[in-house]
Amino acid sequence: MTKRSMYIKMITSSLIRRRSRMFVALLAVAVGATILSGLVTVYYDIPRQMRQEFRSYGANFILVSASGETISEESAAAALGCIPEDKVVGTAPYRYETVKINEQPFMAAGTELSEARKASPYWFVSGEWPERDGSVLIGQEVADVIKLLPGNSFTMTGTDLAGESFSRDFRVSGIVQTGGTEEAFIFMSLADFASVIGENGAFDVVECSISASQAELETIAARVTEIAEDVAPRLVTRVTRSEGAVLTKLQALVFLVTAVVLLLTMICVATTMMAVVAERRKEIGLKKALGAPDKSIITEFLGEGLLLGCLGGALGSALGFGFAQIIGVNVFSRAVQFPAALAPATLIASVLITGLACLIPVRSATYVDPAIVLRGE
Amino acid sequence: MALLDIKGISKIYGSVKALQNIDLAVEQGEWLSIMGPSGSGKTTMMNIIGCMDKPTDGKVILDGIDISAESARNLTAIRRDKIGLIFQQFHLISYLTALENIMVAQYYHSMPDEKEALQALDRVGLLERAKHLPSQLSGGEQQRVCIARALINYPMLVLADEPTGNLDEVNEGIVMDIFRQLHSEGSTVVVVTHDPEVAEEAQRTVILEHGRIARITYNVGRESRKGE
Ligand SMILES: Nc1ncnc2c1ncn2[C@@H]1O[C@H](COP(=O)(O)OP(=O)(O)OP(=O)(O)O)[C@@H](O)[C@H]1O
Ligand SMILES: [Mg+2]
Repeated sequence: MTKRSMYIKMITSSLIRRRSRMFVALLAVAVGATILSGLVTVYYDIPRQMRQEFRSYGANFILVSASGETISEESAAAALGCIPEDKVVGTAPYRYETVKINEQPFMAAGTELSEARKASPYWFVSGEWPERDGSVLIGQEVADVIKLLPGNSFTMTGTDLAGESFSRDFRVSGIVQTGGTEEAFIFMSLADFASVIGENGAFDVVECSISASQAELETIAARVTEIAEDVAPRLVTRVTRSEGAVLTKLQALVFLVTAVVLLLTMICVATTMMAVVAERRKEIGLKKALGAPDKSIITEFLGEGLLLGCLGGALGSALGFGFAQIIGVNVFSRAVQFPAALAPATLIASVLITGLACLIPVRSATYVDPAIVLRGE
Repeated sequence: MALLDIKGISKIYGSVKALQNIDLAVEQGEWLSIMGPSGSGKTTMMNIIGCMDKPTDGKVILDGIDISAESARNLTAIRRDKIGLIFQQFHLISYLTALENIMVAQYYHSMPDEKEALQALDRVGLLERAKHLPSQLSGGEQQRVCIARALINYPMLVLADEPTGNLDEVNEGIVMDIFRQLHSEGSTVVVVTHDPEVAEEAQRTVILEHGRIARITYNVGRESRKGE
């Protein structure tokens, strides 16, 4: 048997056969590592999560006509081509026209309803989103004025593009609340819109919801201006700016909590190791009486500590993944991504922290007087 | 020259004079007993001889080295190379097997050698208990493991403080047999004991009182028994 294998035998036996005390320290390291890896996962995933979260507050990128007129379908398609497909949450083109119901004027909006739903997920619809031609969403304000409920029908009148008046019946499939101007609108499919107003091959605006950072949005805007000259891209800055501020604060909070938890872990490991050293004074004295130099005493205790750090770190990385998932599901309602490099990083951090925590206790182990073995305290 | 030469040592703890002006020489191959009432300084003397403590005054020459003048680090090395310690409380490491406890002494000394450690266990009659933990051994068996550990690195001086203090008569007999064998092989042994029968086995008994040597007796009886 070599010295190294004897050393390994000694420190592993100590951990395995004297479980109770070391178990506390192991638990401390594991909990610390769990919180560390869990919160770091969340820390790195927050921007991704929050961006999606904030996107649910509607469009953050709007295309209007540069000349104040309408955007042709070709220009709109060209502009939308500038947005990386994987970042698109929804793009809803809109056509607007004033119409009348019971001789009262309202704004009718034709859009791709399924896209509008994706781009404006915060819309609260009582009833159903329209699924058939002839079904529309009406804003709460419209519903209040005309006294309409989901399932009711009404007659819409107005003048089409050719200047001829029309009259057509529609069914209310749902009533939409947005807390904004949309509540005075009647939303219908582009086909329904064209059937009453007529086709002009153009849109008034295109509202886009894009999952990207401020910088990325600016890049996209620049490209749109370049490619489609008659299109003017607008960033809805209000949301994007507050998004950044909230992110920074959240990340600072997570960082702080992680630091505090690591400090507590260190204190717990240090006190446990202190108690372990006190508990094993006899054993240390015996080893010294047998002729063990301080170096051996230090490497043995440190070895036990670091092994503990390793085990706790490994356990913590695994639990941390679960912890992050729980936070993800409960706070953001979706799964988080676990950065692969985090597992080894957690392990290294755990080993470093236990090593650091062991320094003082290990030092005190070298002060034990070998004479105690004969004194028989 | 004597293996161990104690020249006028005193040990003072605050106001307690644990040892006062002790002179004593131990020859190579000698078996010496130290007796005396509780608090007379026996353990204090063992600690000094065993390089675990230093005298307040006087000199201790072990194998030609003045151990009263060495640094703690050097004392550790001397202890490792020259001294074998046997304790009243055995002091086996609880989480290591009998065999591993012996190998720990090899580990600090030079190289763990399982074969040699097994031979040492065999010598104290515990070969079949090699894989047992101390908690699975009786007091007498634990003491035999402790003795095997003390002898594993061929110490020039074996020190035993009350080796039979925690043992019954049967186990005391087994342990004394091992000491007798050690002595016959030429080992130098110093045994502290309260038991006159144990003390009598040695060639010489030093009786301490109040930190001084009160008298020294030569145990001729033992020599005659040896012939039986
Ligand atoms: N570290 C110490 N500090 C203060 N006094 C001590 C210390 N060690 C020993 N003494 C004192 O020195 C005296 C001798 O102690 P020692 O342990 O050598 O006695 P002993 O002969 O071994 O006794 P016993 O038979 O009870 O083991 C005692 O009065 C003891 O109280
Ligand atoms: Mg004593």
